[in-house]
Amino acid sequence: MSALSRPWNRLTLAGKIVLPLLALFAVLTLALLVGVALGPIPYVVDLAYDTVAANLGIVRFVGAVTAILLLTIPTAFIIIYLEMKVIALMNLRLGPNRVGPWGTLQSAFHGFKVLGKEDFTPTGADVPVFTLAPAVVYLASVMAFLVLPFAPGLVGADMNIGLLYFFAVGSLGVVGLMMAGWSSFNKYSLLGGLRAAAQIVSYEIPLTLSIVGVVLLTGTLSLNGIVLEQSGSFLDWFIFRQPLGFLIFFIAAAAEGSRTPFDLTEADSEIVAGFATEYSGMRFGFFFFAEYVNVFLLSALTVVLFLGGWNAPFDLGGILAQIGLSVDPSLAPGQLGIGLLLGIAIVPPVVILALALPIWAFRSDVAFWKALVIGFLLFNVLAMGALMLWATASFEQVEGLIWFFAKTYVFVVVFVWMRGTLPRVRVDQLMGFAWKWLLPAALVNIFITAAAIVVVKQIQG
Amino acid sequence: MTTAPKTQVRSLDDPLLMVDTPATIYDAVPPYPPQTEREAEFYALRGGEMLINLGPQHPSTHGVLRVVLKIDGERVVDLDPVLGYLHRGVEKICENSDWHMVVSHCDPLEYIASMFSELVPVMAAEKLLDVKVPRRADYIRVLACELNRISSHALFIGWLALDLGGLTPILYGFIERDEIVEMLAALTGQKLLFNYMRIGGVNGDLNHEFLSRLGDWMSHAAARIEDSQTLINENEIFVKRTRGLGVIDRETALRMCLSGPPLRATGIPYDVRRAHPYSVYPELEFEIPTREEGDSYARYLLHLDEIKQSIHIIDQVLHKMPDGPIAAKLPRLLRPRPGRAFAAIESPRGQYAVYAMSDGSDQPFRLRIHDPSYFNLQTVGLLTPGHLVADTMAIMASLDPIMGGVDK
Repeated sequence: MSALSRPWNRLTLAGKIVLPLLALFAVLTLALLVGVALGPIPYVVDLAYDTVAANLGIVRFVGAVTAILLLTIPTAFIIIYLEMKVIALMNLRLGPNRVGPWGTLQSAFHGFKVLGKEDFTPTGADVPVFTLAPAVVYLASVMAFLVLPFAPGLVGADMNIGLLYFFAVGSLGVVGLMMAGWSSFNKYSLLGGLRAAAQIVSYEIPLTLSIVGVVLLTGTLSLNGIVLEQSGSFLDWFIFRQPLGFLIFFIAAAAEGSRTPFDLTEADSEIVAGFATEYSGMRFGFFFFAEYVNVFLLSALTVVLFLGGWNAPFDLGGILAQIGLSVDPSLAPGQLGIGLLLGIAIVPPVVILALALPIWAFRSDVAFWKALVIGFLLFNVLAMGALMLWATASFEQVEGLIWFFAKTYVFVVVFVWMRGTLPRVRVDQLMGFAWKWLLPAALVNIFITAAAIVVVKQIQG
Repeated sequence: MTTAPKTQVRSLDDPLLMVDTPATIYDAVPPYPPQTEREAEFYALRGGEMLINLGPQHPSTHGVLRVVLKIDGERVVDLDPVLGYLHRGVEKICENSDWHMVVSHCDPLEYIASMFSELVPVMAAEKLLDVKVPRRADYIRVLACELNRISSHALFIGWLALDLGGLTPILYGFIERDEIVEMLAALTGQKLLFNYMRIGGVNGDLNHEFLSRLGDWMSHAAARIEDSQTLINENEIFVKRTRGLGVIDRETALRMCLSGPPLRATGIPYDVRRAHPYSVYPELEFEIPTREEGDSYARYLLHLDEIKQSIHIIDQVLHKMPDGPIAAKLPRLLRPRPGRAFAAIESPRGQYAVYAMSDGSDQPFRLRIHDPSYFNLQTVGLLTPGHLVADTMAIMASLDPIMGGVDK
């Protein structure tokens, strides 16, 4: 509230923006209350409803963008925690273990810490460019999320040029890295920015060429279409038809996301922190977030293109039906009869116990009744989540989400594993690898795929 | 940077003064006109070149080494090491202190392996005093030194990998270092600066805790060190980055006065323990491992071989350890004969020597310390130009300088 006690000319720029907005919100709230009391509100609500109904496409788009923007934050937190913990275990350390159970809240607190730090701009920096660079990098990562199919029907925007959009938007990040490197007025930043530009632009080419095989097979650039092409058993996944393409794609993706062994852009033992050397506070946080969002994004794209996306490796519904457990999403609770009563009576205590027992067993300082309370709270969260999913999503969507995230996080862990194991390559080795090995291999892959398609068509027709 | 920013900045000399920013105040150029031809040539930039300041605070300059790199893109054209950020004048301080106090002043010189930096002045003083060190004390000294050598080498391997971007090997190196440091803490009471050597012997006898820890460690040390190196030994990236990098030939090595692993990696089997035997090393069996290639990878492998030899030495020392006193009987105030003495030992980084002069008083008249890190570090200027910025770190790490000894 310190902003209210300051004169206008002593406010920061952020304060000058936020304070009028606060006043506007106050006025709107007051107007709402008055409107409800006096009667014109229902008319306004109707008007708003009609407007929304008329522009459903735009509303859906804005909703998807907001949801994706919000999704990136927990994703980054989870991957940061995963990286800290997995690398710690590889290093024979404990890793984060203080904040939250098993240190799970550590990365969230890192986020708060970064928010609270001084936002420092070095003397001599090109201030507008310096300020804009983290936003460009972060938004480039976040915008690429829009075309990812998370589950059947659960996709931000199912574009028919989805793949092209993904790479176009994803490579905008380089511009941000170059801006950061150039505007920081620091030679380490400059070196980092130039390395980033050279590396990411070089690896863009094998990355894009390696998926031409997949595009040839499916005949579509829509990510949703590519996933649908792979439905069936796990033998239909493109990793079995495009093993070389998958390998090239994965290596190039590691370079594209600046992950070890290709993390030259922020090689801490060489150029301190690369383009992020002069950044502090939340501006640095945005770079940090963007990096981990990129990891998720590239893992997700690997899964979508080569591992069947949200497709289950086997027909789960069919197997359940075989053993007599058919899951009907349009299940009416009334049909269950006595089973409903039994379920209500038995399921909550069992689940609460199942949640409480590990906490009690693994944490010697937690008394059993406290563990029960924690279990009860966790059960409530889970039950609410399950109910909401039941109400809004279908069984296929929930199953698809689970498979999609499970496969994606396998690749995230592989990226983290690589970071814990491998040293870093040198600049010339990196470039040589991209142009002398990956690019010819990708071209060979395209040639073989195209030839195979022609041959198969000749045989069939 | 050719374009000067338009803004005013706070002066570096007077914080109350605002001055126009000539871009060069951010550059690594010294604030005085060039004093030598070399300096004038180095700080004159041709087109496309820039100076970049590596250190004194940088993640991979071990300690406070500052290197000014002249780079053209990623390629290092020339470089200028700037020393002295850790200079404390230890040699001068020693002249003003008692012979006994010299031990604790020389202790932090080679702070990763401080057993060695305290042993040398002690040996020089013993030569001046004509003291005969008891055999048990000699054996204990060798035991402590070889343990310290292993801990230092284990850390070197981790550091080399860390400077190449591998996060994990340094922690594997620290496993050995941790156990050895705990062991030496049980023996000496300290973990880093042991202050254990005394003129005429050592400070304390072997105790039960030390021996039980040593026994535990010896039972698995060799296998575990071998095991933990599989992460980097056959790693394609590690080998590609270090093999053929920073090659020193024999003539250069001798001309630059190298010693220790960088010298032996060129194929010259010079080890003070064999060339000029001291203490009880003549009674012990061990080999002097050498490599022919002289590159960073050879230096790395040589450290592994030396760890194995040190374990072998410790094994023999434990079997041959005689009974007896651990220190010679000496008066509290030492007045050595007037004269000069030279003592040299093989530290983990090479030949560590002290040249002491006595005028018959209870203080050394002169104490000149020859630190191998200083001589090994000099070759960075020969090896690095023409390589990339990233290789600078790999070369510096493979020479393994300790700035405490370089700056003295």
